[in-house]
This record gives sequence, structure tokens and C-alpha cells, in this order.
Amino acid sequence: MNFTREKFYKPILLALAACLFFGVSQTQRAMNRDRETLGLTRVAPLENAPPVLAFTTVALGGFRGLIANALWIRASDLQENDKFFEMVQLADWITKLEPHFVHVWLVQGWNMAYNISVKFSEPEDRWRWVQRGIELLRDQGIPWNPDETLLYRELSWFFQHKMGHNLDDAHQFYKIAWANEMKEAFGGKPNYAELLDPQTDEAKARVQTLREKYKLDPQLMKEVDELYGPLEWWLPDAHAIYWAEMGRRKAKSEEQQTLRRSIYQTMQQAFFRGGLRENKIDNTFTLGPNLEIIEKVNRTWEIFAEEDLSQKEHMKSFHKNFLHNAVYFLFVANRKAEAARWFDYLSKTYPQAVLDKNGRKYALDEFAIAQVTEDVSETDVNKTTALIQGFLRSAFFELAQDDDDRAANFELMAQKVWNRYQAEIEGAQKRVGLKPMNELKRAVREELFDPESGFSPEMLNHLRTKLGMSAPTNAPTAGVVPK
Amino acid sequence: MQRIFAIVGLTWKAAFRYRLFWVLAALLVGAVVALPMLIKDDGTARGFTQILLTYTLGSITALLGIATLWLSCGTLARDIEESQIQMVVVKPIARWQIWIGKWLGILSLNAMLLAIAGGSVFFLLQWRATRLAPDQQAILRNEVLVARAGVREILPDFRDAVETELQRRLRNNPVNPKDIPVIRKQIDEQIKAGIQSVPAGGYRPWRIDLGRAKNSLRDQPLFLRVKFFTAQSAPSGTFMALWQVGNPEKMRVWRSEPMSLAPETFHEIIIPPNLFDENGLLDIVFVNPNNATLLFPLDEGMEVLYREGSFGLNFARGLGIIFCWLALLASLGLAAASFLSFPVAAFVSLSVLILGLSSGTMASVVEEGTILGVDHESGAAQASSVLDTVLVPVFGAVLKVINLVQSFSPIDSLSTGRSITWTQLGLAGTQIVLLLGGILAAIGIITFTRRELATAQGTS
Repeated sequence: MNFTREKFYKPILLALAACLFFGVSQTQRAMNRDRETLGLTRVAPLENAPPVLAFTTVALGGFRGLIANALWIRASDLQENDKFFEMVQLADWITKLEPHFVHVWLVQGWNMAYNISVKFSEPEDRWRWVQRGIELLRDQGIPWNPDETLLYRELSWFFQHKMGHNLDDAHQFYKIAWANEMKEAFGGKPNYAELLDPQTDEAKARVQTLREKYKLDPQLMKEVDELYGPLEWWLPDAHAIYWAEMGRRKAKSEEQQTLRRSIYQTMQQAFFRGGLRENKIDNTFTLGPNLEIIEKVNRTWEIFAEEDLSQKEHMKSFHKNFLHNAVYFLFVANRKAEAARWFDYLSKTYPQAVLDKNGRKYALDEFAIAQVTEDVSETDVNKTTALIQGFLRSAFFELAQDDDDRAANFELMAQKVWNRYQAEIEGAQKRVGLKPMNELKRAVREELFDPESGFSPEMLNHLRTKLGMSAPTNAPTAGVVPK
Repeated sequence: MQRIFAIVGLTWKAAFRYRLFWVLAALLVGAVVALPMLIKDDGTARGFTQILLTYTLGSITALLGIATLWLSCGTLARDIEESQIQMVVVKPIARWQIWIGKWLGILSLNAMLLAIAGGSVFFLLQWRATRLAPDQQAILRNEVLVARAGVREILPDFRDAVETELQRRLRNNPVNPKDIPVIRKQIDEQIKAGIQSVPAGGYRPWRIDLGRAKNSLRDQPLFLRVKFFTAQSAPSGTFMALWQVGNPEKMRVWRSEPMSLAPETFHEIIIPPNLFDENGLLDIVFVNPNNATLLFPLDEGMEVLYREGSFGLNFARGLGIIFCWLALLASLGLAAASFLSFPVAAFVSLSVLILGLSSGTMASVVEEGTILGVDHESGAAQASSVLDTVLVPVFGAVLKVINLVQSFSPIDSLSTGRSITWTQLGLAGTQIVLLLGGILAAIGIITFTRRELATAQGTS
């Protein structure tokens, strides 16, 4: 009899437990609704959570906070002792234990992207930690807290400041690494028709990568480009604007201004360094201005000045400087008609800005040259020689990158400075005259072909081709570079 | 010895009878196999190896530690409560032999499990390392899967210089005798600061004596482990550093490219081999190209790391220290079980363990001199209490005891590729097993010997 009872005792208990679990699962939804309607909890129940997250938030109950504190203390201790290899794991656990505590995500993300990354001297190591910080917010923080604008703002800041700005010694590495990733992800420059309606398997795979790995929505990308672009999506500035815009769309009215300002600041940065030129010869990238967004950036300055009347004069000063640079960049890019239009706009908006020290209005080319010299009428032979050599170096550089227009423009500017100087020192050429232009050119060319010049062998070969020069031989040349 | 080994055998049988051995072995191997799949690393092979070493050895230590405490409390206390011990004590065996036999039984069980788990970790790491690219393997074998020793500059004795300066100052400005120790300390710090600081545009030389190690370091790369501080901040958060290693007059010299280094953190810089002279002296110069003064502290500003031995032997020594901890836990559990019932003995043992792990809190209390905390702005105690007069000295004494155990950190050393020397292992054995373990064993044996076992039966 006892044996029979014992035989069925455990199975009956198990069955009872199963029934009770089933009963709880049926009442759970009703209880969650009651929690919300009766205001019994500040935090919404976690839904669709992965098993680990569900376990930590439900099973651990009130101990979650305690364990999170213990992990945080461990993370702080390890960081003080420069032991970073556990940081990713600890950040993961801490954020899983407190998934709705926004500052946990912000602090952990910032810690990895800023504090830990800078502890490493190698750019590759720093980039790794910047990526960890970005991934924490983008792949986990924002999906779990989609309405928290602080997270979008922070993620946007990582792209704008850590990667897009030039304060980090490794910023060039970040930009190049990101550009290579985006090139791979987009398969070139973004094609919205293909991204929004992928027809081929390759296009579908590309869209899947963008959505799942980089959390980018092609439709929103297109809207961001229409609003603020066209942007260079291989560079971090575009992504800073993307995430700020996404946050702005979810933000309450009092939070809108912060995110809008973030977008405008990034647009300024994108104007100066948001143009990417791929050097196919030696597979590098160079950054330059993004001239396609001048109109929209100009509008942002006007909005700044309208919005904040107390800072209006400061904003006007920044606006004026922006227009100076816009005219110069357009001129150097040989877009003279646009340069003239903006020069005209500048002279109407800020009439004093286009006058030289004698009160005379600059011509367009004089104005452009004046942006890179203290005084166009400089009469120091050494300074002027250095200035001309700088323009010539730029000309050779653009020539090596197959941008003949820009090369011609730089050479033109060099010639104009040479002409002006020689005119200024009329009668004293023997004493303080410049060397002939072709001599200056030859000297710069010889300097560029020096192996220490920094030009890659591939670029030098291409430059030889463009200049019609013969290839170097192995015979000793006694230090003379062929003309 | 035969009697003791008989008790060892009984302990093993009990462990197998309760399936404890198999369950523990499965948990340990499971931890070794499952952890690599669960943990998140920083994306480098080095980081993954370090976190794997830390978490697997940490899990092994925690599992075996808890199991050791539980088993040591249970194997004696339950035998007493269930009267099974009476079948043993009537045999011609002394009480101390029973106690030592149980202790050795638990120890041998731990040794077997530790060997299985530790061996699994070791081979797992070696196997994973062979699957990496050659350059990643080289980094691992140079920096993590290695036993590196460190040598620092021999610090000069500043006492004479301090006294000379102190006497000079006292001649010019006599002070209250009570202030002399403070002034002496200030002078000491000023003299040290003069050596530690590298002004903008200046340089700082070190001469490191590699000693007898030079003979084994031919053609071996070395590492400079450096750390500096600065009062100024840079927009990028880093400062440029230029290094020169070697003596230009005697041999070839290595000069680094400009490095971008963050302050207040350790950096390891690999230098080419054979830059020290025939006497084993290595000359290092740091040039400061920044517009800020940098400070290299005397104790940790510069250390030269070199390969002292293989990872395998180092790993075994690390396991040896963990084994010493387990031996202490076994002594603790058996000592508690000698006079307490099983649940109480388990509770007491766990409480002592938790107390030992709370040394950080006790250290802050001793440092601040109060249990009630200090005002962090003024540094003064927030309130004084009679508890302070009792607890602060007690905590101080407890800390001294705990430090005998916690001053060894094998997991930390293994994960950073630092050498655990035979001396450290010997010291661990002496302090942890012989001294502390011996005290607990003495307490346990004496109480067990004097205990009336017949009155200690359980009610079941």
C-alpha cells in the first residue's frame, strides 16, 4: 500500500505543478493589465524578451538591483586596475539586469566608447571599443527602450563626436574603417530604388544586413537624405543625423530642440568634412567638404539665429564664416557659378565681409585666395613662396587623383598669387623677386617624388603617367629626379 | 598511516555513494565547455583568452569551494548525528587520525576534480590558440599564455638626502618638533617628485638590471609596462610619447614612433630583443614632446616584463594556490562540524567565507577609522561611536588574517600572463595550509577528541 502511494506521489505533485503553471500563465495577462490600470508599477512588464532577460527580470525579483550594484562595483574596480577584457560581459549583464534604466545604457556605452577606448594606443584596439559602445546602444539599448530619446541622442553623439570629429588621435582610422564597412554593406553608394524594392537576391541580402546588423531603415535613410542631404552615408556624420532624426520623431515637444540642434551641428561638420573621395589608385579615402548641402546648412544657420535671439550675434558670426568657406570650397572645386552666387549672397547679407583692408570689394578669385592667406597682398618672398608651393602641391595631389579640374584651379591660384606678388614688388625683382613659376613647379615635383614625401608608389606612378614622365630605372641617378 | 588512508577511502566512498563526485565533475566540465559559448569578449583573441581564464577558473574555484565546505561539514557532522561515526571510533584509531583522514579524503577528491577541470581549461586554451592566425597566436603566446616576470628600477635610498635637506631647513626655520615628521614626509615627496616628473620637452632615463635573467633572454622580446599621470588634460585624452631603448655607445638602439598614450593606465610596449648590455643592464629613455608635465610614479611607472617560464607550469602553480584555498575551506568545514550540527556548521562556515570575501568593506572601515563613514569633502568621520573603539581594531586583526589568504591572486596573474613563482606557491602553502589551516585543524581535532559522540545523535 505504502509503495503504491509513493509510486504515484511524485507524479501527482508534478501534474499539480504543471496545472498551476498553466493557470498562472492564463492569469498573467490580466494581472499585467491590472498593474498598469491600477498604477501598481512604474515599469511596464517586459514583453517578448529573450529567455535570459526574462529570467533575470522575473526570477531574480528585487535582487536584480543588488546584483547589478555588485557587478557595477566589479566593473569599476576592474577599470581602475586597467583590466578591460571583462567590460563587454559586465556591461551586458548590468544592462540585462536593469534594461529600462536608461542611464545604465548611457554610462556603459559611454564608458566603452570613450573611457576604455582611449586607454589603448593602437587604433585597431580603440576602434573595437568604440564599436562595442555603439553596438550596446544601437543593438540593445534602443530596441529595449525605443521611446527614450536620450539613447538616440547619445548614439548620434558617438557618431558625430567620437568618429566624425578630429579630437581622437585615431579618428581617421575610425572613419576609414566605417567607410569600408558601409561600402561593403551598401555595395557602393546607396541606391534607394534598389534598397526600397530589392529585386535580386544580392539586393535582398544587402537590405537584410542593413536592417539586422546596422539597424538602418532604407525608407528613413531616404527621408533623412531629402531633409538634410544629400549625405555621404559612408561617413559617420550621416549616421549621426539618422539616429538624431529617429529620436526626434519619437521625442516629446520639449525634447525636440536638443535633437534638432544635434542634427544642425552635425550638418555643419558634414559640410566641412562630409565629402568622401575614394582614391582608387591606392585604395584610400580623403575627406573634403560636402558641397551639395550648402543650401540646407545655410538654412540651419538662419534657423539658429531665429530660434535663439540671445545668441543671435554669435550665430551671425558663425554664419558669416560658413559662407566664407562655402565660397572658397566652391571656387576650389571649380564650381565658379555657384561660388559667384554665394559670394553675391554673402555680400548682400554681410557687406563688410567682402571688403579688403582698404575697404575695396574683393573680386571672387581674390576673395577665395584671401581665405587661405593673411593678406593677398603679402610681400614677403618666403611666405609667398611657401603659399605658392602649397597650391602647387595641392594641384599635383589632385592630378594624382584624376581630378584635373581641381588641379587646374589650384595651379591657377598659384599663378595668380605669383602674378600679384611680382606686380607688387615692381622694380625690386632682383632683390626680392620670386623664382620663375616653372622652377617652383619643378622643385615641388621633385619633392613629391622623394620616397619620404608620403605619396604612395601607386600614386606616384599614376602622377608620372599624367605628367607624361618615364618610369624610373634601377640605374643610379646621382640623386637627380627626371623631369 | 594505514588507518588514515582507510578513512580517506571511506570519504571517497561516501562521495561516490552520494554521486557528489560525478555531479561535480559534470558541473565543472560543463562550465569549461559552456562558458566559451556564453561569455562576451572584447573581440580579440587575447581578450577572449583572458576572460575565459578568469571565468572558468573563477567558476571552478567557486564550485569546488562551496562543494568542499558542504562536504566537509556533512561528512563529519552527519556521521556524528547518524551515529555512523561510532562504528569507526570503536576501531583502534585515534580521533585525530579520523579528522586528518577525512581532511585528506576531501583534499584528494578536490585534487582529482581540480586536475580534471584545470586540465580541461588548459587543453581548451591550447586548442583554441592553435586555430588562430599566426600573428594572433604570437600575441597570445607573448602576453597571455606565458609566465612573465617583472623587474623594476632599483630605487635609491633617499633617507640621507631627506635628512640633509631637513636639517638645512630646520637651521633656517626652526619648527615645532611635532611637525618634523610631516616636514620630513613632504621633503621625501618633493625629492621623489623631482625624479618622477618629466617636464614638457624633458626626458626621463631608467636603468633596469635584468640580473641573472639576462642569460635566458637572448633573442627574446621584452615588454615595457608603463604608467604615467598628469595634472593637465588633453582634448584627445592622450599624450604623445617617444621611447628610446638601448645604450647608443654600446649597442644598437631602438627608437619608437610617436605613440599616443592615455594617462592613468598601464601600457605594454614590446621592444626588440638584445637591447641590454653584457651585464644585463637595459637603458630606457622617455622623451616628453607634449606641453604638459608627465609623472611616472616610482613604484609602477616603469616595469620591464620578460618571459620567465612556460604557461603550463605557471598554470599548474596557479592551480596549486587554488588547491591551498580549498584545503583551508576543508579545514574550516571540518573544524565547524567537529562541534556543531550539520546545518549550523554549514551556516557558520559560509558566514566565515562571506566575511572573508567582505574584506573590502573592512579595509575601508580600518582606513577611515570609523564604521559610520566619513564626509568625503572634509575627510572627517561623520560621527564617532563606541563601536569604533571595538570594531576598528577587530576588523584590523581580521584583515591581517584574511590577507594571509587573499594576498595571492593566481587567477589574476594567469589572465595577465604574470608569473606565479615557486616561492609564492610555497608561501601560500605555508600561510594558508600550514598556518591558518593548521590552527583550524588544531581547533577541530581538539574539540572532536573531547566531544562525547554518543550524546550528539540526531533525532531522526
